[in-house]
Amino acid sequence: MKVVAKNLNFTYSPKTKGLSFRALDNVNVEIKEGEIFGIIGKTGSGKSTFVQHINGLIKVQKGGGALKVGDYDLTDKKCDYKSLRAKVGMMFQYPEHQLFAETVFEDVAFALKNFAKDISAEEIAARVKEALSTVGLDYNEVKDKSPFDLSGGQKRRVAIAGVIVAKPEILVLDEPAAGLDPKGKREFLELLLRLHKDYVKTIIIVSHDMNLVAEYCTRAAVFSGGKIIATGTPKEIFSDKNIIEKSGLDLPLTAALTEKLKSKGIITDSDFTVEDFTEKLIVALKNGGKIR
Amino acid sequence: MRDVSFGSYFPSNSFVHKMDARAKILIAIAYMVAVFLVSAFHFLGFAACLLFVILATVVSKVPFLRVLKSVRTIIFFVVFSAILQLFFNKKGTVVFWVITDVGLLNAGFIIARIMLIVLGASLLTLTTSPVELADGIEGLLCPLKWIKFPVHEFALIMSIALRFIPTLIDETDRIIKAQKARGADFESGNIFKRAKALIPVLIPLLISSFRRADELADAMDSRCYAGSKTRTRYKKLRFTFRDLIGVLVVAGLIVGIVYLNGFYALNSLAEIAGAL
Repeated sequence: MKVVAKNLNFTYSPKTKGLSFRALDNVNVEIKEGEIFGIIGKTGSGKSTFVQHINGLIKVQKGGGALKVGDYDLTDKKCDYKSLRAKVGMMFQYPEHQLFAETVFEDVAFALKNFAKDISAEEIAARVKEALSTVGLDYNEVKDKSPFDLSGGQKRRVAIAGVIVAKPEILVLDEPAAGLDPKGKREFLELLLRLHKDYVKTIIIVSHDMNLVAEYCTRAAVFSGGKIIATGTPKEIFSDKNIIEKSGLDLPLTAALTEKLKSKGIITDSDFTVEDFTEKLIVALKNGGKIR
Repeated sequence: MRDVSFGSYFPSNSFVHKMDARAKILIAIAYMVAVFLVSAFHFLGFAACLLFVILATVVSKVPFLRVLKSVRTIIFFVVFSAILQLFFNKKGTVVFWVITDVGLLNAGFIIARIMLIVLGASLLTLTTSPVELADGIEGLLCPLKWIKFPVHEFALIMSIALRFIPTLIDETDRIIKAQKARGADFESGNIFKRAKALIPVLIPLLISSFRRADELADAMDSRCYAGSKTRTRYKKLRFTFRDLIGVLVVAGLIVGIVYLNGFYALNSLAEIAGAL
């Protein structure tokens, strides 16, 4: 499923003078199937408003432009939001705050029961088991526990399982790594890559963490004041000083280091992933710290 | 969900805003008593109450529309009570279909009474910040300290509750979105189904409230909060000439209404006497 937004606009409280706020301003973007797409920008730049359009949590306003997700036309009044939401999974910040059921099993099965009314009990059990093992939890060990008795990291895993259990084709993550310790973060990002390989086709990540974007995203869009000011690969975006200045974002560590080492004539360039950067640096060091 | 205008503070520097919160609460209570004192069908009393609210609104510099907005939240309740009066009142003579003249008067009476009370109450919260309001209530409840009632703690609980309303609204919004993304449906089905659909929202909300309460308690502890004993105030409440004027005006209102009531009562007595 492709996400295509054309001249998408959105204004909060459009009728109240003084309170109305234009959150999206002529947003044009195309997110292809199979991408890990980053959405970056400062707080209040319209990122969250945009991603909440993708599964119809925020509806396209009258005259607000066009938005298509796969075959779903979100400007159509008869759009079937429920089946759309089954195909577009969304995880908010601190997803563990959405847990509510008495057992982990019930909580993970929640989305499944909502989306497919006539699903059999065996199938539910099989799907929950699959989802829990995908996020790295032992089904037999946790299924009857209360989700509130788990550790923070485990809670978040259960919450993710509760989203991916519906087998969405697109997974939207809003600040997925917020509040995790470095180890938890690493494990979580590895989980994301695993998910992308054999579970969901497209992942859309909203994040402030430029290191994460540089490392994992195939492409990204930069939001600023409700507009998209740039779209491209992380390499393209972080090489352009204009964009960085306009959006008020930080450079990822690898980009900043590449910049410094380039000015000293130690390396020529890198694509800003940790692997590529260290490789280039090692080659440079083997050559006595000079460009070959 | 965000436009909860009932009970929102409108900052200004007016005469009413500068009044002592204790006096304002007392005046508001006295005003409500006055509204209730207006006896059946004597709309002149309501006119006096309306005049009082309009006067107070003008002096407080709060826009009229802002005060009227507060009525919007209870309009359903008002209309419902009026309809009950219209259709289920059997007294008096029939004017139209099942509607009687007494029913009509009663409906008008109920509408006037509820509207006037809500207008007065919202004017109090529009001109008094939640903190002042809590301070005012604490001040008024002070005599209860004699029977060891924890007045300060009570006021603190109230101001915390008020402070957390917007936070909880935001939180509810977020949780509803998260559950909607998992296919939860709050808009279809009968009332029982809808009530059941709220469980996935209410439980996380309850849990997050406990978490917030814990965090707030820690934050207060780390700032050495120790209750009423050692606490001093930055803004002391003081009874001034403004409050005296307010009290006099509302006292005038009550006296006027009582007088009107007495006048009407005497009149009807005279009528009865004349008929005899």
